[in-house]
Amino acid sequence: MSVETAGRAEASRLAAASLIRQPLLVALILIVLLLALGEMLSPGFASPQQILRLLIVAALLGIVAAGQNLVILGGREGIDLSVGGIVSLSAIIAGNVMNGSDGGILPAILACVAAGALFGTFNGVGVTLLRIPPLVMTLGMLGVLQGLLVVIRQGVPSGRAAPALSEFVTRPFLLGLPGIIWLWVLIGLLMAFLLRRTVFGYRVYAIGSNEQAALLAGVPVRLIRVSLFTLSGAFAGLAGLCLIGYAGTSFANVGELYMLPSIIAVVLGGTPLSGGKGGYTGTMAGAVLLVILQSILTTINIEESGRQVIFGLTLLVLMLFYGRGRAMRA
Amino acid sequence: MANLTIRGARKAYGATVALSRGDFDLKEGEVHVLIGSNGSGKSTLCKIVSGSVRPDAGEVLIDGKPVSIDGPRAARALGIATFYQELSLAAHRTVAENIGLPELPGKGGIFVDRARLNAIAERHISRFADVAGEGFSADTRVEHLREDQRQLVEIMKALATEAPILIFDEPTSSLDRAQVERFFEILRELKAEGRAIVFISHRMDEIFSVGDRVTVIRDGETVGTSQISETNPANIIRQMVGETELAVTEGAPPATVEAKAEAVLSVAGLSGKGFAGVSFEVRRGEILGFGGLHGQGQSAVLRSIFGVSPAAAGSIRINREERAIRSPREAIRCGLAYVSGDRGRDGVVHGRPILENVTPIHFLRNRLSLVRPGSLRERAAKPLSALKTRFAGYEQPVNALSGGNQQKIVIARWLIDRPDVLLLDDPTKGIDLQAKADLFALIRSLAAEGMGIVLYSSEDAELLANADRILVFNSGSVSRELTGADRTRYNLYHAAYEAA
Repeated sequence: MSVETAGRAEASRLAAASLIRQPLLVALILIVLLLALGEMLSPGFASPQQILRLLIVAALLGIVAAGQNLVILGGREGIDLSVGGIVSLSAIIAGNVMNGSDGGILPAILACVAAGALFGTFNGVGVTLLRIPPLVMTLGMLGVLQGLLVVIRQGVPSGRAAPALSEFVTRPFLLGLPGIIWLWVLIGLLMAFLLRRTVFGYRVYAIGSNEQAALLAGVPVRLIRVSLFTLSGAFAGLAGLCLIGYAGTSFANVGELYMLPSIIAVVLGGTPLSGGKGGYTGTMAGAVLLVILQSILTTINIEESGRQVIFGLTLLVLMLFYGRGRAMRA
Repeated sequence: MANLTIRGARKAYGATVALSRGDFDLKEGEVHVLIGSNGSGKSTLCKIVSGSVRPDAGEVLIDGKPVSIDGPRAARALGIATFYQELSLAAHRTVAENIGLPELPGKGGIFVDRARLNAIAERHISRFADVAGEGFSADTRVEHLREDQRQLVEIMKALATEAPILIFDEPTSSLDRAQVERFFEILRELKAEGRAIVFISHRMDEIFSVGDRVTVIRDGETVGTSQISETNPANIIRQMVGETELAVTEGAPPATVEAKAEAVLSVAGLSGKGFAGVSFEVRRGEILGFGGLHGQGQSAVLRSIFGVSPAAAGSIRINREERAIRSPREAIRCGLAYVSGDRGRDGVVHGRPILENVTPIHFLRNRLSLVRPGSLRERAAKPLSALKTRFAGYEQPVNALSGGNQQKIVIARWLIDRPDVLLLDDPTKGIDLQAKADLFALIRSLAAEGMGIVLYSSEDAELLANADRILVFNSGSVSRELTGADRTRYNLYHAAYEAA
């Protein structure tokens, strides 16, 4: 091999290496590839209407993942397994508050976000003041929420979405895109602002990366960690509201399907479970990617249970990659 | 029984030479004391014998035969047992189980022979029974024991191995008088049985009470062995210091601070975990040094003033105002700054950009909530350049920098808004010489501008060259104050090694 080709091979190897370190770029490429694959498997998969539908579903997941992202960024094994329960609870609250009338939308928003924030705050207090590991605390909270759901509903589906809300979620609103996608874009911008341009954002990264150093630099570590869980609950509450707009009515444990995907979207987007680095832009791409994958699996007739298996495996494979990355850094 | 000889042992960690020439000779039937100042290499020498560190060069002989000790198990097989300074006990297991751990008596190769385990443990516990204090028995779990009782368990654990060669690395640091006496009685019995014992301690009275020979180690070299009966404490300290260092250290600053300058930090009767009754004042423009052996309460005092683990008793005044500081956050608002030498644990926000690492104090002191990167870069530029920090850009991750430059970033975060008092907790640990020089140049100019500075350093030369006044810590309290021409290495060691 001549020196020149060796140099070129080295250069392309480096380029590939730096590409892999850009999770966002990788995710975008994968999105295009998956869309092409879907189109091959089932013509019409990548049609504009289909893509729009996928984006709406991705927006719902993305809103949940925003809160999950914050909790994970804050480090110390931060994770919120209760988001699914909060989504379900919020969907029921929204359905009953609105009960099919547009006048109930504003009270429903307030009630859903407040309820989510309340349960999120419980999580945060449990994790910081009672020192319960986040995994255990939020799993316990999920159990509590599931119990509550059974009590509230007593087995009967109840509540209907307001027509205006359904329209907001499913009908084009601006430039051919429904309102929920614009809402998601707005949340993306707010998250970027929060993480990059506010002292709060700097402190989130600081406690996620080195809590002891953050404490010695006067960061109110507990307060910030509680607020992360509060925000996660609030986002899940908002997502529950939007979900009933999409589905029309709430059905059994509708939110349960959000727990694992919200975590996978965050990790796919380049935020490691150890926290302290990453951001929301990648998570948004991760959410889209995941929804496309989900849709392909449905197209090729894989049942919900099979999809859960594949998601679980995806997360484990991702962990394998990140585990290696961390070992190399140390 | 066995004789142990080490010849020309050497160990380096990267560019840092921990031990440059270790010659050591241990005979059966003796207690051989190893003594040297902070970081002189005695622990490294012990670790080579106990198999937890492999030397880069040199040889180890047992009864004249070269051996290779390539792990703690190999050391055990050769008949070497070690008492570790950092206790190595299983907290949730009982005293008996811990004592038996190195040599668990087995039954059928699988099961533990409980009866024999308890018999062995009981034999060792009974020897300390009347001095061990309340709540000490074979079936107490270690987590319920006091610090001194844990140290006793670690001692029993070493004794229970019945090894011919025993190494005790500071076994008496938490023991009371009666416990130490009992331990020494046992050492004398073991000696009579022909065991060979290495004993490390910083207490002169203990060394002279139990030792037969003493080897002094200085700057990574063993500099001489003498019979205890033919030497005295002053001689040993002189050997530790080295003849050339007996005079006032060259370059030691004249005490420039006017006695009249106002006290910026006054501490009275401060007591807490690891220290008691500490009082001192720092005046504007003064560099107050904390000296003495490692872990005599210097760091604990600094961290307690800074609110990391608030003191149980005592008062702290900043600019003559009494303050109750319960967290670092409050300390920062009172005008204190704290730089730890353990930058990886206490300083650096790993993997994050330099800008994020340099700004947290500025945010807090100015109660900011929005980040304006442009203005932050401008503000950070001055302290960073005063420290001669080398970096490519503010977006560079901090871990891309050398250790010295990382520490400069951490220090710079405290200087965007000037504190009144700068607490330095062994700030130059593991950083290169140039970075140290840059750091001390800055510290001096900060003092000249009127900041009060407290400097704890485990490097005695650094302390002698920079502090206007030195408080020597011994067992958690200040044993001596060195000022003016008294700031010599000899006086520093003398105060540090005195019986507390």
